[in-house]
Amino acid sequence: MTPADRARRRAVGSAIALSVPGMLVLLALFAVPLLRLLALSVEGGSLTAYEKALTNELYLRVIFETFKIAAIVTFFTFVLGYPVAYVMATSGRIWQIVGIAFVLLPFWTSILVRTYAWMVLLGRNGVVNRTLMGLGLIDGPLPLLNNLSGVLIGMVHVLLPYMILPVFNAVKKVDPTLVLAAEGLGAPRWRAFLHVTLPLTMNGVMAGMTLVFTLSLGFFITPALLGGGRVVMIANLIEEQVRELLNWAFAGALSAILLALTLLAFWGISRIMRTRPA
Amino acid sequence: MTLIKLNRREIMVGAGAVALTARSAFGQSEPPKPKQIVVNASGGSMNTALRKAYFDAFEKDTGIQVVETSPVDLGKLKAMVVSGNVEWNLTEIGGQDGALVQRLGLVEKIDSKLVDRSAYPKEAKSEYLFASSVYSTVLAYRTDVFAPGKQPKGWAEFWDVKRFPGPRSMRNHPVDNLEYGLLASGVPADKLYPIDMDRAFKKLDEIKPHVNVWWTTGQQPAQLLLDKEVVLATGWNGRFYDLMKKGAPIAVDWTGGSLKQGTFVIPKGAKESYWAHKMLAYMSDPKRQSIYANELGYPGLNLESIKYIDPQAAPHMPTHPDNLSKQFWLNAAWWDDNLEKSMERWKQWLLKT
Amino acid sequence: MAAEDVRGADLRVDGVAKRYGAVVALGGVSLSVAAGEFLTILGPSGSGKTTLLKVVAGFEFPDAGRVAVGGADITDVSPAKRNIGMVFQNYALFPHMSVARNIAFPLLMRGVPKSEIERRVNRALELVELQSYGERRPSQLSGGQQQRVALARAIVFDPTLLLLDEPFGALDRKLRESMQLEVRRLQRRLGLTTVFITHDQEEALVLSDRIAVMDDGVIRQVGAPDEIYDRPADDFVAQFIGESNLLAGEIAALDRVVLDGGASVTVRGLGAGHGRVRLLVRPEKMAIDAATNRFTGTVVEAVYLGEAHKLRVKTAEGIELLVRGHRAVPAGASLTVGFAPEDAHVICGAG
Repeated sequence: MTPADRARRRAVGSAIALSVPGMLVLLALFAVPLLRLLALSVEGGSLTAYEKALTNELYLRVIFETFKIAAIVTFFTFVLGYPVAYVMATSGRIWQIVGIAFVLLPFWTSILVRTYAWMVLLGRNGVVNRTLMGLGLIDGPLPLLNNLSGVLIGMVHVLLPYMILPVFNAVKKVDPTLVLAAEGLGAPRWRAFLHVTLPLTMNGVMAGMTLVFTLSLGFFITPALLGGGRVVMIANLIEEQVRELLNWAFAGALSAILLALTLLAFWGISRIMRTRPA
Repeated sequence: MTLIKLNRREIMVGAGAVALTARSAFGQSEPPKPKQIVVNASGGSMNTALRKAYFDAFEKDTGIQVVETSPVDLGKLKAMVVSGNVEWNLTEIGGQDGALVQRLGLVEKIDSKLVDRSAYPKEAKSEYLFASSVYSTVLAYRTDVFAPGKQPKGWAEFWDVKRFPGPRSMRNHPVDNLEYGLLASGVPADKLYPIDMDRAFKKLDEIKPHVNVWWTTGQQPAQLLLDKEVVLATGWNGRFYDLMKKGAPIAVDWTGGSLKQGTFVIPKGAKESYWAHKMLAYMSDPKRQSIYANELGYPGLNLESIKYIDPQAAPHMPTHPDNLSKQFWLNAAWWDDNLEKSMERWKQWLLKT
Repeated sequence: MAAEDVRGADLRVDGVAKRYGAVVALGGVSLSVAAGEFLTILGPSGSGKTTLLKVVAGFEFPDAGRVAVGGADITDVSPAKRNIGMVFQNYALFPHMSVARNIAFPLLMRGVPKSEIERRVNRALELVELQSYGERRPSQLSGGQQQRVALARAIVFDPTLLLLDEPFGALDRKLRESMQLEVRRLQRRLGLTTVFITHDQEEALVLSDRIAVMDDGVIRQVGAPDEIYDRPADDFVAQFIGESNLLAGEIAALDRVVLDGGASVTVRGLGAGHGRVRLLVRPEKMAIDAATNRFTGTVVEAVYLGEAHKLRVKTAEGIELLVRGHRAVPAGASLTVGFAPEDAHVICGAG
């Protein structure tokens, strides 16, 4: 063994040693509860909970709806969040701080309060409808609340910062001379953005999308309050099983299925990331 | 869980009975006093009223601090009992969950030597459940939309969207709604159980397009009426009572109201059981129950308490003789047997387009 | 030193001014670059040379003045439409594209057909001797190779003008020298009009057809390298380029200047002028034991440079002289140095 080998081995050893506390925390806070959840779902050694979840039309449908809503919310946070992040990252220091403050402000307000605020804004007699009717733009109130659009608006609002912050970070990391170079090489602004800025910020976009998508899957307050009962997400059903029906085995099974599907989605995203050309 | 039915005769009997004061029920030697006990309840105005009616007096008399927590959470109760780490000394549970918590062994027996319920109707003297108050899910509407003489009465009229047009709100739950559907379709109140689900859902099909919001929290229907988002709603009588006290153009129709009892339990394995019992003794006191009732519109089950209720508030009590006769008692036993199945069907029905 | 086959266009900068708030970056700059010429803008950092380049490239719009290429005014044309190739200081290669894609980028933007793109990219790669590197990512290349990719990308679309913004700054000395020669060779072969920016005077002297010396937002002097070196227009140019002995004095006769401190020297080219002047004598023109304009003093510093010895001599009058020669003289020794009358360049004015 050469001295270099020995040094390398020592470095690896200390890296393992350093990661032990973190691993223990993860184990205690993540792995153990997860295993208990899985244990719950096969209570009494039977898979009936899974059988029910995967054969009952209601649960399959709600799982599908949940993923559909998560995908729509992810799309809208991207479409709305990217320009905001881009403008923030490319403007001066003061505006950046102001922008970040505005993005973070909602984090200090409870999700319940924000959801109620949307109810005030979006209702039949809410601020938005009254304003539009006052301006003569619409004759009757738009159905903005107590349906899917209400849920989407509320969720996009809550989750927007999770898209903006990683994208902001990614845009800030793009060397501005690359954009100049592209323009100098004959690319109009929008093509320079499409060919240089966008691909170089894709990592931030993917991080934001992953965050928003996963967080969306677990939403239940917003759909319950803004959906008017017409929107049911899987977390609503899990919560009902846990808190109302006390059927923890079934709740565990639903959670495990949600987890498995989420991991599958992650795996899919990372595959796309890896095979992405350029 | 026994089916509780109050009627006028029983109340009169109860009112004549001699009630012992709560204090006399306690022996000479009390266990040492803890610094505090934790009582978990619905929160909001309910906790305020609990404090006003019971907690302040309890703290003053015993020197034990009462810590209020909320909300009511059956899952948390189960988690506490299963893990052996019970933080609550006393907790409220949902009106229809009494049978469930007994079946799962999540609650302690109530010691009748410590809590005097002699003035309670006999159906409300469960071994495990303390009936704290009566509440009802009733029909409410805007009085500026439906003028006197043209006001909806009962569920058939709630269903009648031609005579009583406008958006409605109902609870996002099968409990109550299945009964309302049956009543609207002409089933008499004493023939509701066992519930004919097919018939109930078929009737609910008719009202579904007119329900703007299927509510999930008790505050929602009151707020929706107040904001005129809907003009008719089902909801807990106390929530509407609160708005009416403040002068909102809202009225309640008691016809076909669904009565249930607010219930407190001592979680299995909870510490300071003696002091939890002592709190229940305070909560069974008729005078104190009347304070609570005046505040919220939820009368207690100590039949003596009727005497102390503010005459102005009395017509808003679900147990007021005029109101009581129009309503039915929810059959908690039937619901315990059918809850999971009916909730699944409810969700499926709701998502059906 | 004109290019062999001129393909570039001429550049005219006319009275270009640019200020950022209270700071004047360009104070009315005018400059002509002939087609196929290699012109270097030389100046210290903050002199405005990068701003001038950005104005030419279109990344900054001037407050006043015009820019024309090949006779066409491009002052208001967007950078994408200027058809100017530029190599950035940090190369600005697109990290998410392969080398070939980087070079293909300007052609793609111009809608060049695919087969044509492939042909021209290959030719450009050949030109910079990176034929087998097309599929690599820029991060997998060395600094010199990245530089060559940037160069290939800047010339593949036959720009009318090539701008080089301190492109050799990040390279080590040896690589830098070979790159300098390679760029010069390419530029001449392609006949590209080239504007090169540097703060390195040696680089400027080696590469340029002409040099424009900039300071404080204005051009101090434009001329061929030997002109700039031998006959600087003012003290700044004299001192910025090469090492110099600047001797201040007063014209006493047609061929005599009396230096401050009393010494009198013989020079040429005074003409009929009078008043204060500075005499510039390059250290290599100072000779030990010269026949004319002799100064005697003590060697206060002796540095061996390999190809020469550099001596600092201090005279009794307090004049310090730099001398570059082939003789080793130890510090502390007494020495007489001097210069021929024709080796002194006269700079007029107050200085």
